Amino acid sequence: MQKLSVRHLLGIKGLTENDIQLIFETADNFKSVINRPIKKVPSLRDITVANLFFENSTRTKLSFELAEKRLSADIINFAASSSSVSKGETLIDTVNNILAMKVDMVVMRHPYPGAAVFLSKHIQAQIINAGDGAHEHPTQALLDAYSIREKLGDVRGKKVVIVGDILHSRVALSNILCLQLLGAEVMVCGPTTLIPKYIHTLGVKVEHDLQKALNWCDVANMLRIQLERQDIRYFPSLREYSMMYGLNKEILDSLDKKIVVMHPGPINRGVEITSDVADSRQSIILDQVENGVAIRMAVLYLLAGGQN
Amino acid sequence: MKLLLKSVKVVDPNSPHHGKQVDILVQNGTIAKIGKSIKEEGIRKLEWKGAHVSPGWLDLNVNFCDPGHEPKEDLKSGADAAAAGGFTAVALMPNTQPPLHSKSEIEYIRNKAQAYLVDVWPLGTISRDKEGKDLSEMYDMKSSGAVAFTDGTQAVQDAGLMSRALLYAKGIGSLVMNTGDDRSISQKGKMNEGEMSTLLGVKGIPALAEELMIARDIYLAEYNDARIHFSNISSARSVDLIRAAKRKGLKITCDVSVNNLYFDESALHDFDSNFKLRPPLRTSQDIKSLKNGLKDGTIDAICSQHTPEDKEHKEVEFEIAAYGSIGLQTAFALACMSLQKSMEIESIISCLSQKPRAILGLEPVSIREGAKANLTVFDPEKEWSLAASDILSKSKNTPLIGARLNGKALAVINNDQYKLTS
Repeated sequence: MQKLSVRHLLGIKGLTENDIQLIFETADNFKSVINRPIKKVPSLRDITVANLFFENSTRTKLSFELAEKRLSADIINFAASSSSVSKGETLIDTVNNILAMKVDMVVMRHPYPGAAVFLSKHIQAQIINAGDGAHEHPTQALLDAYSIREKLGDVRGKKVVIVGDILHSRVALSNILCLQLLGAEVMVCGPTTLIPKYIHTLGVKVEHDLQKALNWCDVANMLRIQLERQDIRYFPSLREYSMMYGLNKEILDSLDKKIVVMHPGPINRGVEITSDVADSRQSIILDQVENGVAIRMAVLYLLAGGQN
Repeated sequence: MKLLLKSVKVVDPNSPHHGKQVDILVQNGTIAKIGKSIKEEGIRKLEWKGAHVSPGWLDLNVNFCDPGHEPKEDLKSGADAAAAGGFTAVALMPNTQPPLHSKSEIEYIRNKAQAYLVDVWPLGTISRDKEGKDLSEMYDMKSSGAVAFTDGTQAVQDAGLMSRALLYAKGIGSLVMNTGDDRSISQKGKMNEGEMSTLLGVKGIPALAEELMIARDIYLAEYNDARIHFSNISSARSVDLIRAAKRKGLKITCDVSVNNLYFDESALHDFDSNFKLRPPLRTSQDIKSLKNGLKDGTIDAICSQHTPEDKEHKEVEFEIAAYGSIGLQTAFALACMSLQKSMEIESIISCLSQKPRAILGLEPVSIREGAKANLTVFDPEKEWSLAASDILSKSKNTPLIGARLNGKALAVINNDQYKLTS
């Protein structure tokens, strides 16, 4: 069996292009599995996975849980608000308590950047980062790239624009790194106050005019505006944001090519994209969700198989 | 105490023996004799290969957590660490609990540290409770032994308060220090805003937060015709601002932490909280400018910014980890390793000894017969490494355990006591 070059999936940083291709090929197999009448395989039997969610999540948690169940893993779930944890038990203690019950893998969502990296230095179990603050969300980036590959045949050479709150987005960072590793060109687009000053050091193009960005791209990934992540106001109102960066059918139809529209969910309908765009044939939003399970199955499976 | 230093090279431009290899006889706390080859039987003789001697070093920025957080560090353990790093004096930041904001705390420090080899000089707060609102009783604290005033890690945000503090301190013949950190700019940033913070998804502290406040304070100092000292500057533009102000003849001094001289933001690539510092580690360009600033005299002093923190505050997620690292025992090595290519050893030593003493208005120390024996013996070339068991601080928060270092203090002599550092 081919193996990954890493022991944990902490981020796209640290992965090689071969790792990603291996994850994609493995996901291809699992995608056919989950479309069969019997959706379950015994690959992770006897493996216990702890899903530790220190921050609210619905879809990522469901997607991981489903992936684990389809692989026949045993699962325990832990949810805590970060505030109650930061007041009391430390992260290492919390996780070690759970690991004392003989857990093999940890899937963790955490509000602080670097939490998964930090944990990997202090515990034995294998870790999958399910999102750490504004740092990384590797499985989201993998499923996004996988969905582009599925829709357009290949990621290499494609032009992808990520629109929205780049400053607070782990999805943006992981997507940039993943798409670049696979040979795509990446642009970020959003209000000047939501684009990190040094984003150009990652080798991405920066555009503040949505129309221009869309004219340039093959794929538009419309990020969710996460007001809950903003400690201060970075733009005057959602209404104004939507006026400048909302994607509607009119704009979409004005483009001279049929671009692919993506969204990591959950959608604020009428803010980032209008319903007619979200539900249009150019949108692959629901494919992303389906591919999410296959990608997470592939990651769990490959990590359980050990490191190269 | 009677002691003979054998064959040490004097590094002290104010001494007639500067640059010479001599023997130094120390007796009853003073330098009794300096000569080519002093013959004295029956006393302790200290001899090393490659040993240099200079006036004792002073660190302008240390935290001893006493009173308030003694399990992290107390005056004794802090002073021991200082001595082991070659420092015979430290200026104690008021980042204590309660802050050093009245006569009681200042007297506590002075009394408790009275018999130490290391002189412990307390810095009083500018504002009561370090709250940045009302002036603290500076005159009373000065009379009790406070050598200057600063709100430590809490940079003074209110320009009006800062202006009054400068003016008031001038009136009592004292000095105000501030660190550049405009919180309306730095907000919830945790590391330098730059390439690395972008890659790590960590909120950035723009160098602008430091530069804006330094620019403001330069104006305030000029307006009030007052002295001001900037603690641990970290950015290239800060160096430029201070250089220009000094050229204008303003009474400005500043220091830099060895951390900001030696490490850049790339050290944070895997979220090691030992590199979570304030001011944050910046870029290699900033380091270059800081070195130039030291070389041309824009920056006056080098400090360790010794900040002990226990495991509970460091071995946690980067976001909530406390700022700071211990540094007294490794400061000289980092200074040597970052500066030896660009600066003469006597210029480096001057930033560790004569210049910081002058900033605080302390009596100059010189290596001459009859003078008080306040000496640091060191070897700028010595290779060594720091083992965890060598750390005399109660806290072990340093990224340098096991690292190869160059430059080490060998012994310190002060207040009629001496201590070998290894």
